[in-house]
Amino acid sequence: MNPVLLWFHQLGSPPVFDRFAARWVPVGFVLGLLTMAIGLYGALFVVPADYQQGDSFRILYIHVPAAWMSLFVYGLMAFYAVIALVWHIKLCEVLAMACAPIGALFTAVTLATGSIWGKPMWGTWWDWDPRLTSELVLLFLYLGVIGLNAAIEDRRAAARAAGFLAIVGVVLLPVIRYSVTWWNSLHQGATIKLFGESTMDASMTWPLWVMVLATKFWFVGSLLQRARADNLEREAGKDWARAAAGVER
Amino acid sequence: MSYREYVIGAYAVFAAFLAWDFLVPRLRLARARRNIVLRAKREAARKNGNPA
Repeated sequence: MNPVLLWFHQLGSPPVFDRFAARWVPVGFVLGLLTMAIGLYGALFVVPADYQQGDSFRILYIHVPAAWMSLFVYGLMAFYAVIALVWHIKLCEVLAMACAPIGALFTAVTLATGSIWGKPMWGTWWDWDPRLTSELVLLFLYLGVIGLNAAIEDRRAAARAAGFLAIVGVVLLPVIRYSVTWWNSLHQGATIKLFGESTMDASMTWPLWVMVLATKFWFVGSLLQRARADNLEREAGKDWARAAAGVER
Repeated sequence: MSYREYVIGAYAVFAAFLAWDFLVPRLRLARARRNIVLRAKREAARKNGNPA
């Protein structure tokens, strides 16, 4: 078998995953914190204040990466859920359910920081604008997945049911992405573009890209940590889990 | 036109959420480990005829 495929197959084994996660959780968090320190230094102390928004535009450096993560994590959760449902891979159930609280946190950060920015710029904490409302619905979807997963006692049946909900909810992602294009929105259109020229000066965008990278590293650490805890709970009766918990035989 | 308090508030929210995201799974992992140890102790006590 191809060595990469073989490695993936082996990673599906709970004890192998536990060892893998134990090794990579600190790496994800340390890289996340280091890149975040660089990005935040740039965002708060290096880039100049905006000529119209003053310092309030600095909120963008946490708001935009969090918003992108809220969509990315949802997509990944649905992807894992599809694999879990089609191929019945237990680890993918674990990973899909581990994505949900992280995605919910990033969505909550997006809504909270957007609201804090909106008060001085729009004159209101909240508006039932298409972008804000669809992002709020995304938070409710995440909470629905978490709630459904917690409500069913059989862990595998719970993950499958919550996985279905996650997959159905994918239809919301393009609605959020294009809400500012499809409807009249108080929320501004895309300022920063992955492909094409951004309407923000390049001297002000580098901390944003660093923060985007930092949130990805952080996500790796957080996902593996949550999945590791869930994996250990599910496998509590197994010998490897006892050994991992330090129980002498 | 500083809006410093809004910037501080937003970054504080971000830091608080990250701290939560870091700590909660760590505590859950520690609890899972503790439960496994306690379960092993109960089983050992039952085997020795000494219900714990």
